Amino acid sequence: MKNIFAVSGIVIKELYRRKDFYVLFILTVLICLVMASVNIFNDKSIVRYLKEICLLLVWIASLVIAITTTARQIPSERENRTLFPLLAKPLTRTQLLLGKFLGCWLACGLTLFCFYVFFGLLAGSREHQWPIINYLQAGGLHWIMLGVVIAMTLLGSLVFTAPSSNATICFVVSAGILIMGRHLNKVALHMPEPRRGILYSIYYAIPHFELFDVRDLIVHNWPPISWTVCGLATLYALAYAAVFLIAACVVFRRRALS
Amino acid sequence: MKECCSAGQLPVIEVKNLSVTYRARGTGQPDRLAVKNLHLSVRSGEVFGFLGPNGAGKTTTMNVLLGFVNASAGDAFLFGANVRDPIARQRIGYLPELTYYYKFLTAEELLRFYAKIFGIPKAETERRMDAVLKLVDLEGVRKRAIKTYSKGMQQRVGLAQALINDPDLLILDEPTSGLDPIGRMKVREIIQRLKDEGKTVFFSSHELGEVETVCDRVAILHQGELKVEGRVSELAQQHQCNLEQLFLRVIGYTNAPNSPALPSRQNVALPSESEPAVSLLHHSSTPFLHSSK
Amino acid sequence: MRSTRLPLLILTALLVLCFGLAARLGTWFEAWDGNRAQSGDLLQTLLGDSRRIFANHFFIKADAYFHSGYYPTIFDNREAFETPHVAEDAGAAASNNQGDENGFLGKPRDWIDAFGRQFYPSIHTHLNEGGAQAHTASSGDLGDNSDVREILPWLRLSAELDPNSIRTYTVTAYWLRRRMGKVAEAEQFLREGLRENPGSDEILYELGRIFDENHHDANRARNLWELALRSWEKTESTKPDPDKYVYVHIVSSLAMLEKREGNYNRALAYMELWKKRSVEPAKVQERIDDLRRKLPSANSLTSQTQNPKSD
Repeated sequence: MKNIFAVSGIVIKELYRRKDFYVLFILTVLICLVMASVNIFNDKSIVRYLKEICLLLVWIASLVIAITTTARQIPSERENRTLFPLLAKPLTRTQLLLGKFLGCWLACGLTLFCFYVFFGLLAGSREHQWPIINYLQAGGLHWIMLGVVIAMTLLGSLVFTAPSSNATICFVVSAGILIMGRHLNKVALHMPEPRRGILYSIYYAIPHFELFDVRDLIVHNWPPISWTVCGLATLYALAYAAVFLIAACVVFRRRALS
Repeated sequence: MKECCSAGQLPVIEVKNLSVTYRARGTGQPDRLAVKNLHLSVRSGEVFGFLGPNGAGKTTTMNVLLGFVNASAGDAFLFGANVRDPIARQRIGYLPELTYYYKFLTAEELLRFYAKIFGIPKAETERRMDAVLKLVDLEGVRKRAIKTYSKGMQQRVGLAQALINDPDLLILDEPTSGLDPIGRMKVREIIQRLKDEGKTVFFSSHELGEVETVCDRVAILHQGELKVEGRVSELAQQHQCNLEQLFLRVIGYTNAPNSPALPSRQNVALPSESEPAVSLLHHSSTPFLHSSK
Repeated sequence: MRSTRLPLLILTALLVLCFGLAARLGTWFEAWDGNRAQSGDLLQTLLGDSRRIFANHFFIKADAYFHSGYYPTIFDNREAFETPHVAEDAGAAASNNQGDENGFLGKPRDWIDAFGRQFYPSIHTHLNEGGAQAHTASSGDLGDNSDVREILPWLRLSAELDPNSIRTYTVTAYWLRRRMGKVAEAEQFLREGLRENPGSDEILYELGRIFDENHHDANRARNLWELALRSWEKTESTKPDPDKYVYVHIVSSLAMLEKREGNYNRALAYMELWKKRSVEPAKVQERIDDLRRKLPSANSLTSQTQNPKSD
């Protein structure tokens, strides 16, 4: 375990020494502050549009950070040849992969924390209330979802040659599932066989990221979700992450490094 | 978990019938045999030079020893443990030919990271870090990011990370490549010092003059096959030429003057533990040179 | 010196040429019919006519906000949401809604669908009736919940993107003045809409409502409604299928106004017009009969030409 944590520490250090997070955070803050300064019929209490825009930016930024950070982990190690002195140590490839995963996931958790704190401050400045439980649930589910995305991207980084193509594919897949994942079964109903069967297979096979997207509940001040449901969603995400990670470990173990 | 041998009992490095084939994927090219039936043994406390022209299979052999590449046939052991077992790498230090490290880290952070992987306690890590940074002359820049280092400094930080765990075996892949004369002298001094401490050093190099100076034994590889192996002094004496001339003759580049005629192909028995410098059984059609004690 | 001077001179010459060409082409482009340069609006310049698609999207988004996020997608049964409720409740559009607005999702088709409904709004609510908080345990009698203000940004944006969408102005004005008490803002917004859509009968009608219901200025309300009626007759009456919905609202409001003011003959005249295009002429006829019964007693009263204005 200490090896895994050591590798993850390096990933976290890399993230906060790169500019990606700061650029996206500042951009998010700027856009939200500009949106907040708009005069809408002289009413300063309007807040939901701001919450929605802020959360949309947070989701986009978090996906960008998660996917771009993860997509370059193994390829850049190989390209920069830092992989060789690393694996020359008593560190297995599985430990390295798990360390990369944990590092990316924890790093994304830290960035999410910063984003959600900003979101809470922004929303609270107008609503004058802080539904901490709701925000915790939203942030927690968001973080869990990113774990699946990171595991998927890690597997992609071992399958696809170029980090850019891996990042693009993962981003398209993630965004596609978030937008369309919930509706595939409805679309399938109106299709003839065999397309219906194929679409249903895809529907059941894909990780349903939209389960973790509770923005509408937060924006419109719905009550928090039951903790049992959150727990089940977490288990669902862990299962998918485990599948992706196991596949990545199998691929990585067989891959010649040079 | 397999127990590693203690130094002095088993060979530090042992390679048996090692073959490595690189498969050509979908290119219409045939598979490439990088290493063929290699037998090698390195004892504790030796400085072993692993020589050969570019593409001879030196780096491939090292990659197998370090677990980067899987052998197609044969076995390789480090301190008696199979190279696929991570425990085999607990007592080794490795300096790759091209030294790149995490540019966003400082030398200190890099060494701490590697020390953590070795499981070295914090206090011991700090002590060793101070020692190796002093050894490689990077004390003054230890808190600077590696991306600001010159090539020589990066090479030295590579050496530092190879030494952080006080290894019993040091594997160096062309350690003086790209260094200026002062840098090369530093590396030679470090190798000599390690030898005096009883460490084993296994390195490849194209600087045959340096190899002659520091190495106890050498092996010359060509086209994936081991052509010659033995003590430096004995090889020189036997063939009445220096290492460079011997090297060129082995690879078939030139007929060096004043050398005795090459012996015809002979079958020689496999080396035994009691013979410190022996020739190797070799089934190639090219003549081979051997030396005995 | 010589070697650096020549490239600099060439560069300067090129810059002068570029600026000269730009100045020449700029005037030519502005004179070109239909070019976007004539518009000073950034959105129009950037998006062109496609901004109307975005405008409709944001209008629908306002309706989604009205429902606290519980809203059908293009894959769901939209029968109950053909006319956005935010417009339907405002009386700005005739309702085409059918079906069950509480159950457009239908039964869960599989366990993922069932489980997923925990993570997004799945209960039908209206913001003016408490919204999501109406379903929390701690909610009391919320009455007219001012959270309906949350639809305003999207309506505003929709109007910016498509200033020719009358519905946006009238719906927004309704919610501004009726639910949020922002009469001045509603009036200003309608006047903006009138500038973009001169002579719009719907906007004129809505303005008249402000003066009637909020300012209690019957004369100005009458003037505006009469103007709206003339505008309707000019634009709609010649169409094979004129928009009766607005016409009925205008003449009925005029009829009620005249009745309140004691101008019973004029009220009757408007009611007759109302009856002609009403979907329930029988009910209008009842009103006419009721008024006629009052008429002999009302004949003794002189019609008032001025009404006191309230500020």
